[in-house]
Amino acid sequence: MSTRDERVTNLINDAKRLRYSRRQILRNGSALGLSAAGLQMVLRSSGHTLAAPRQTRYQTGGKLNILAGSYFVPEAQDFFVKQVQDWGSQNGVEVTADFVNWPDIQAKVSAAVESGAGPDIVEMREGWQYLYYEQMTDLNDLAMQVGDAAGGYYDWVTNTASVDGNFYSIPVGTSSAAFAYRISYFEQAGITDAANNFPKTWEDLFAVGKTLKGMGKPLGQALGHSTGDPASFAYPYMWSYGAMELEEDGKTVAFNKDTFVDGMNTFIQAWKDAYDETGLSWDDSANNRAFLSDQISATLNGSSVYLAAQSAKAGASTTDYKVVVDPADITHAGYPEGPSGRFNQLSSWSYAVMKYSGNQDSAKALLQYWTGADQMKAWLEAQKGYIIPPAKSLASDPVYTSDPKLAPYLDVINYGRNKGYAGPLNQKAAQVGSQYIVVDTFAKAIQNNDAKGAIEEGAKLLERIYGR
Amino acid sequence: MAMVGSNTFGRRVVRLHIPLALYAIFLHFPFAWRVIVSLKPDQDLLRTNLNPFVLRDVTISHYTYLFKETDFLRWTWNTAVVTLAATVLSLFCSVLIGYALGRLRFRGGTIMGLAIFLAYLVPPTLLFIPLSQVIAKFGLYNRYWALIFTYPTFLIPFAGWLLMGYFRTIARDLEDAAMVDGATRLQAMRQIVLPLALPGVLSAGIFCFTLGWNEFLYALVFMGTGNMKTIPVGVVSDLIRADVYFWGSLMAAGILGSVPVAVAYSFFVDHYISGLTSGATKG
Amino acid sequence: MAISTTPITRKTAIEVTRPRRSLSAFLQRDNVLAYLFMLPGAIFLILFMAYPFVLGIWLSLTDKLVGFSDYKYVGLANYRWFWSDSIFRQTVINTFIYGFVTVPFKLFLGLGLALLLNERFHFSRAWRAGLLLPWIVPTAISSLAWLMLFDGVLSPISWVLRDWGLVDHNINFLGDSWNARASLCLANIWRGIPFFAISILAGLQAVPNDLHEAAALDGAGSWQRFRSVTLPVIRNIMLITTLFSIIWTFSDFQLIYVLTKGGPANMTHVFGTYSYQSMAVGDIAGAATISLYMFPILAVFAIILLRYVRKED
Repeated sequence: MSTRDERVTNLINDAKRLRYSRRQILRNGSALGLSAAGLQMVLRSSGHTLAAPRQTRYQTGGKLNILAGSYFVPEAQDFFVKQVQDWGSQNGVEVTADFVNWPDIQAKVSAAVESGAGPDIVEMREGWQYLYYEQMTDLNDLAMQVGDAAGGYYDWVTNTASVDGNFYSIPVGTSSAAFAYRISYFEQAGITDAANNFPKTWEDLFAVGKTLKGMGKPLGQALGHSTGDPASFAYPYMWSYGAMELEEDGKTVAFNKDTFVDGMNTFIQAWKDAYDETGLSWDDSANNRAFLSDQISATLNGSSVYLAAQSAKAGASTTDYKVVVDPADITHAGYPEGPSGRFNQLSSWSYAVMKYSGNQDSAKALLQYWTGADQMKAWLEAQKGYIIPPAKSLASDPVYTSDPKLAPYLDVINYGRNKGYAGPLNQKAAQVGSQYIVVDTFAKAIQNNDAKGAIEEGAKLLERIYGR
Repeated sequence: MAMVGSNTFGRRVVRLHIPLALYAIFLHFPFAWRVIVSLKPDQDLLRTNLNPFVLRDVTISHYTYLFKETDFLRWTWNTAVVTLAATVLSLFCSVLIGYALGRLRFRGGTIMGLAIFLAYLVPPTLLFIPLSQVIAKFGLYNRYWALIFTYPTFLIPFAGWLLMGYFRTIARDLEDAAMVDGATRLQAMRQIVLPLALPGVLSAGIFCFTLGWNEFLYALVFMGTGNMKTIPVGVVSDLIRADVYFWGSLMAAGILGSVPVAVAYSFFVDHYISGLTSGATKG
Repeated sequence: MAISTTPITRKTAIEVTRPRRSLSAFLQRDNVLAYLFMLPGAIFLILFMAYPFVLGIWLSLTDKLVGFSDYKYVGLANYRWFWSDSIFRQTVINTFIYGFVTVPFKLFLGLGLALLLNERFHFSRAWRAGLLLPWIVPTAISSLAWLMLFDGVLSPISWVLRDWGLVDHNINFLGDSWNARASLCLANIWRGIPFFAISILAGLQAVPNDLHEAAALDGAGSWQRFRSVTLPVIRNIMLITTLFSIIWTFSDFQLIYVLTKGGPANMTHVFGTYSYQSMAVGDIAGAATISLYMFPILAVFAIILLRYVRKED
């Protein structure tokens, strides 16, 4: 990878200095043995716009099985199945899709990858592409095609969905997190104009939470082993109190900081004062249920609680439990800040074609179709804004701008950091995420009422992985 | 402990009926709960202020959901196929093993017996990923054979051990007499010993059936996609969707999924008990 | 045919009825027949258990992660690492708690139930079948029922206790580590009682009634009768059942996986679930190591079991 970087950098310098034409770049570049991706990087960096690449045509037929996490926007899941099955019937492919609960996805992916048999197309989350890329077909060309046609991927997408800049899977955006809260309860707790005045710092939030818990409507936070909400809280809180996984040097573990110990102690106290204490066993679904059945007044989550409340109000309830919250009483706010700043956590989901698949061409064809601008746009609309888009032109879709209440979700791209910070979201960071090391530190601190001990242990576990 | 001595009605109630009732309540209330939930309409399920044991309304929508919106019937079929086939296969092997260890004297008998029993201890959570490589190599992934061939690994050791004990209890003279009369060992086995061992075989068979029907991990990993799910896998994966637990249907599925096994037991419980007696105590 | 005064041995009988040097004679030999009989089972066990098991041992000595083909031999490094891992230590403690707390309850409650079922009363057969249900019903399914019974919001147990004024808020069954352990034990005991009951019942049915009557006539009270007549007979099966139960409880997976997945914060892991979790995140070598730690413990119990059973032979 480094050799390629050198050649690319050298060529970029030459191209700029000597004002190479597009043709010269391409000729010199291929003489140097650069891949198409490398060539694209040179062209882009030296100011040449890309000619629209011709779409590759793939052969189709046979069967395809897709593995993805179950959707928190149920209508979108049905929509996705329809999309892929329509494509399948038009192209002579039998497409099936399996949706697995979030805590269980990785086990299935691991088993499939290790045994060399399983679904043809697999959804990769939270840096998993770094864990499994040896078994994933290189999809860089397809990804670049798709991304460029949609205005280009955001940097945060390239940083969190590729493997060192090369795509082995096609990014499809991600769910982001913000605080969903009940306007009426916050007003009762003493916040004037609660719809526009969410607490600005974590400590402010905990103070309001204390009042709210006294009213019987505490804050809620999931801290169990599930891939979404727990990490969406733990990492940003850690960052806002001055700790990180790695220092800027990319080697030293920066977890055990005094500021963080203080912050953790604050949180332990807040857990007792302001939070629903059953949250230690919550996965990504429990806080949704608690919020929508009016037990908690605020929780950080994707926009699915708001969307579910809207569906329930419109009579098209898709939940198996009674939604008793009026969506008019729900609004969202970005994260509060801590002494070291205001952060959110941003990762990326992508879809990969597995090398063991006997039907890779069909799989690529399906992904090419589905991630193409038209279909992706429709899918994002079906998600009602729950998924933030991976490419720039998709962000101007009305689904993101029509309801101001959903603005905080797209806003995350402005203050979101990747897991593994200050290092990249690479294999080790992905492992740390998979093993819930950061999340468990919080849970352990609460359980044992010992911030320092939990953080020290967390640091040890981080060192074991980063030091490998 | 047979009750001899004073056996008045009063004493019986106190010493027999009341304790039995207590046990029954403890052992059965989860099932009663399941029945209640499976019949309770969705709206009532989350009304936590009301008495949860009272059914204000009854609905069969959870059951119909199971049959119309999920692959429940297919799961049942899958589970039945896999369990029955694995049971037959395992019984075949176990009867032979049980006979060999229980009635034939041969070198290395004790060691083989020990090895087979130790094989039983190897936990599936250790095996499942190396095993998935084996499965993939043989091209069995997501096919019935994946489970039919892997279930015997935990069915054979236990059933074999049970049958070994059982075979030991059958008097040797019967076989010897038959062989003196001119039968081969195999004939003696087939015509004399096996019929006598039938209760034990039945008992081992029921045990295998239960364990197979019950199995979760291998079914999840080796065969858990599309329409190849078994009941435990299907229930856990398809009736919990992101943040929604379809409790009503979950409980309904649980009830329906237990029926075949419960029925089998009710017919064979006496055999099961006597099989256990001989097999286990004299094993 | 002359009447022989020497006892006819099996061997002689065969000699009389079959020529010695045929294939079937060869196959009739105990040695050969035994191994032949064991062959089908052995094939399965070797292919689908022994080989993966050895592979598992090998993996535990490497640093392999799922998805990567380059990995190296690291000797006992994994074992050493887990030895000092606090989660692993908690796992060991949990497993022992889980095993040694539940088994006495299962034993005594199962014994009590067996004694009751041994009586003659109406529909005893139906009762016996019915009370077996917790044991028969697939664990994955009954665990889901317990999941709802232990739910922080929907639990009817909480509701009843609140209704009776014994608690003032819903019980956090699964979110607090000690509560979670207790809940798991409760579900495990519930599931295990029928197994003990039926096994001991089988033993009880072997106790002849005359012994009881004789003892009663001699003036022995029920407790004495139990101790001197019943107990000696069922002691054997009680011990065997107990040992089996310990082995199964130690290697339990489904119940804990469905109810807590080892949470909260890895506080209720047992070997099976911790190993599975490690596998799920790709740490195969670690998962194999954890499972292999369990194996010697189980083997010890198994050997005790076998030794005891052999003694009775």
